[in-house]
Amino acid sequence: MSRVVTEPEKPRLAFGTGVVPRAGAVDPDWLRVRRAKAWDVYLDTPLPSTRSEEWRYTDLSRMLPLDALVPANASLAVPAMANGDGTVPEPLRRAMALDRHSAGRIVDVDGAIVAVELDESLARQGVVLKSLRQAARDGDPLVESLLATKAVPASEGKFPALNAALWTDGVFLRVPANVHLDGPIRLSRWVSHSGSATFTRILIVAENHSQVSFVDECLSPDFESPTLVNTAVELFSRAGAQIQYVSLQRMGKGGFYLANQRTLAERDSTLDTLNVALGGSVGRVDLNARLLGPGANSDMLGLYFGDHDQHFDFNTSQDHVAPHAHSDLLYKGALDDSARGVFRGIIRVHEGAQGTDAYQTNRNLILSDRAVATSLPNLEIGADDVRCSHGATVGQLDAESLFYLMSRGLNREQAERLVVLGFLGEVLSRLPLGGVTEKVTRAIEAKLGNVR
Amino acid sequence: MNDAAILSVTGLRARVADEDLHILRGVDLTIRPGEIHAIMGPNGSGKSTLAKVVAGHPAYEATGGSVTFRGEDLLDMEPDERSQAGVFMAFQYPVEIPGVSIANFLRTSLQARLEDDEELDLFDFQELLMERMELLDMDPSFAQRPVNDGFSGGEKKRNEILQMAVLKPSLALMDETDSGLDIDALKIVAQGVNTLRQENPDMSVLLITHYQRILNYIIPDMVHVMFRGRIVESGGPEVAMELEARGYEEYRKAHVA
Repeated sequence: MSRVVTEPEKPRLAFGTGVVPRAGAVDPDWLRVRRAKAWDVYLDTPLPSTRSEEWRYTDLSRMLPLDALVPANASLAVPAMANGDGTVPEPLRRAMALDRHSAGRIVDVDGAIVAVELDESLARQGVVLKSLRQAARDGDPLVESLLATKAVPASEGKFPALNAALWTDGVFLRVPANVHLDGPIRLSRWVSHSGSATFTRILIVAENHSQVSFVDECLSPDFESPTLVNTAVELFSRAGAQIQYVSLQRMGKGGFYLANQRTLAERDSTLDTLNVALGGSVGRVDLNARLLGPGANSDMLGLYFGDHDQHFDFNTSQDHVAPHAHSDLLYKGALDDSARGVFRGIIRVHEGAQGTDAYQTNRNLILSDRAVATSLPNLEIGADDVRCSHGATVGQLDAESLFYLMSRGLNREQAERLVVLGFLGEVLSRLPLGGVTEKVTRAIEAKLGNVR
Repeated sequence: MNDAAILSVTGLRARVADEDLHILRGVDLTIRPGEIHAIMGPNGSGKSTLAKVVAGHPAYEATGGSVTFRGEDLLDMEPDERSQAGVFMAFQYPVEIPGVSIANFLRTSLQARLEDDEELDLFDFQELLMERMELLDMDPSFAQRPVNDGFSGGEKKRNEILQMAVLKPSLALMDETDSGLDIDALKIVAQGVNTLRQENPDMSVLLITHYQRILNYIIPDMVHVMFRGRIVESGGPEVAMELEARGYEEYRKAHVA
């Protein structure tokens, strides 16, 4: 492949062909080739437009000035153990201090991994937690075979391609067979530069009958101009394994969070996800759960609470490829002010996937006349012996509930606060995970405080 | 005489907000501390509306007359202010609040009574809640259930009584609390109310009911008959007995004419 490499003064995403070789300068050959191919896919793929069903309600051309973004050009710097490293920004440090017990921690600042910690006993048992970039350089064969190939390859679309080309770093987590982690692994992310674009990847492989939970928390300050965080999440649970993945999106104003998540659950494995969207100006999550073996199970939970002019868009799919698998989706959102919530979900029961159990529920609570929720549940069934259901509701805080609460002495704001916390709390109660419930509840309370 | 009244309703007229038809067409009622008043009447007579207007339900609008609670103009107060002043309404149809435990709900209700910078002591609250549940002979696990979510009719009404026991009102409005309850559930609820009155003999009760049977368990000082938005007869417990025997037919004849 021949390529004219020009070095623009400031690499711009739409024109910056020079960005690709630079992003991959220290990578192994296979990865440089994979990046270059991904870049070609990116150039050949048009920006998703509102003419397509999947992007009907999120107008990227209007919301995201892609050409003006500056890629976070994180250098490959991986302190092996940066315990108490002074490079962790204060707000992130405060968020981390709220966490309870962790089996391991990894810190990402502007797309670079700046700290990694893992319980020594887990390391001795063969658990690998490291910078994804470092893992690729170290020649880990799992990374070469699974990175941007089976889960979120460049061919998935404009942003998966862009991410596969430009990702600066991320997380590689491998849990060997039969190893169970007694606390979650926590990724704490921070983005500092307004107008930047950060590309991060997460690759988790839980080998047979292992168990792991992973919390991916993303924070930032408020930004003056749109600032992109793009994440590709690739999760593999082998036979009988269990993975819980939690994304906590708590960016500041101006944050544009775009995530492509794919979960591949093999026989008798459990692969649960929870997406929490509280921050940022725009959040878009594409989640595809693939149930690849009999007995596979995916609980898919989502929680969003938008105020001001926040815009959250979830595009989910439950692909039942194998028979006798189970998936259960529950996304609940509260929307205040002129916030917008979009849920579009589909259950696809593939031919031959008999004995499928698949459920999908989206519920919205509207707290203002200007807030809008759009809910589009869908089913596509190619087998006859299945149990599937889908449902969507968009409701308001009704006058009778409000009166009931006020008749016990709560004022309007306190009543609203209690109802919202109860409504969203149902999602959290389904996935009890160390410290997540408290942290999210506190964040919701803080937002409800702003409403007053 | 009026000075001693805890609740004083005078010439009260009320309608469903933005509708022309008046449901209350001049109600007069005086309740003194510790008194139990029952209001009976056929469907549509306005008895439930009276309770709701006193509690401040936003669907109703008072267009004339006055409601005074301990000398204060109740109609000028928000529902939460009325609650904090000591008015409590046990709902006919208690509302479900998914995801919010009874304990959390009650803690928030008590917290709301404090000043902004005051924090309810959680230990004290827990103690109070346990003591109140014991008083009403309730299982402590009940308080951990989400408010009315999936409750049977009897459980919902017991939850109302528990809230009353924790909030300790000086005036309890009981809006058809007995409707839809079997006799056992009815006895439990009535026993709860009687226990609270034993504890606080000054608590007044306005009991709205369609049937005489609850008055066998909660003995009223006064029984009022409401018909077409007015109290048309008042007397002792014997009024309820007579009503049970005669029905509302004579009122119908008298008021249609």
